[in-house]
Amino acid sequence: MTDDPVAQLLAKVALQDRIAFRQLYSSTSSKLFGVLLRILVNRAEAEDALQEVFTRVWLRAGRFDPEKGRAMTWLISVARNHAIDRLRTRVEPTAVIGDEADALMDAAPGAEAKLVAKDQARRIVDCMAALDADRAKAVQGAYLGGLSYVDLAQKFDVPLNTMRTWLRRSLLQLKECLEK
Amino acid sequence: MTDPLDLSPEDANETLAAEYVLGVLALDDRLAVQDRIKADRDFASCIAKWESHFADLNDNFAAVPAPDLMQQIEGRIFGQQETKRRNWWGFILGAGVAAAIAVAALVIIPSPAAPEFVATLQGEGQPLVVAASYADGVVTLVRSAGPEAEAGRVYELWLIDGDKAPVSLGLIDAASVERPVANMPEGAILAISLEPAGGSTTGAPTGPVLITGVVAAI
Repeated sequence: MTDDPVAQLLAKVALQDRIAFRQLYSSTSSKLFGVLLRILVNRAEAEDALQEVFTRVWLRAGRFDPEKGRAMTWLISVARNHAIDRLRTRVEPTAVIGDEADALMDAAPGAEAKLVAKDQARRIVDCMAALDADRAKAVQGAYLGGLSYVDLAQKFDVPLNTMRTWLRRSLLQLKECLEK
Repeated sequence: MTDPLDLSPEDANETLAAEYVLGVLALDDRLAVQDRIKADRDFASCIAKWESHFADLNDNFAAVPAPDLMQQIEGRIFGQQETKRRNWWGFILGAGVAAAIAVAALVIIPSPAAPEFVATLQGEGQPLVVAASYADGVVTLVRSAGPEAEAGRVYELWLIDGDKAPVSLGLIDAASVERPVANMPEGAILAISLEPAGGSTTGAPTGPVLITGVVAAI
């Protein structure tokens, strides 16, 4: 626990410590802004989302349990979930489906495939490497770029149900590999 | 949704949790999953498991310097508090523990000396409820609902007075405990966190804060 300074800040935030809250913003806002910007693409919306995310963090800090994971992982989940909820609430089809989505998914695939080796940080990457290339790309595009089933079906030019079956099969394959 | 995969119920749960974490679901399905997370503990753990699986991809999110939005954020959270400082409910809402407190009813614990202050400590989704009363320099805590701390862990009580650092009031190692407290300011917050056996060693809570309550005069 003591090796996770963000978790210590979060614990203080759970007790309404405003100074710790500011420190938390200083130390984590860039990473969370990066997450929001990548998924939402639009800067003004990402800034608004960042305010909402930190508001939620203030309200929910007490739910974080350091025994169950790292604080940064928890914060990124809060940010990703909020960004994806926003994307799905948009009425018009997301603007990123075309070239930008390709750019998101194709940018430096080598760099993304080769993750920094850290403790057990390789497992999902190893398991994704065992998937067909297209399917690994779909999983990655969804997680990092916030693509929906509809977006993915368009991107890979397959019917929606085919995309679902594809992805579910891949997820089960990942599960089997991760829990081996 | 016809699914040619014909999944077992267990695999259907697994894929649904993974789809949610991955983010591919449509809004309706996401909202349904969010409701289920609140109601179904096993499913919530399944979600947490997938979150930690996929967390290894988080390194691919490049940090981007964020503008300083702290003023706007504090405005969202504390706006009400600044304008209604004397209003008890305003304070609570501003302090962001509305969910924990909104349903709080004051519980008066009979004790030899008439209590001066009371608080009910509870939290959203938490079975644990603790009633606190304060009289003659002693705070009495009674666990009125919920389990003991799980094996190897212990409940620890904290007093937070305004912007000051939290002060530990000791471990809650029985269904009912009494602790001397020199000063119990009205409006202060009592909180219980889950700590490793022996309690926090850092002087501040290290585990999740389970329940909170505001000290109120009676």
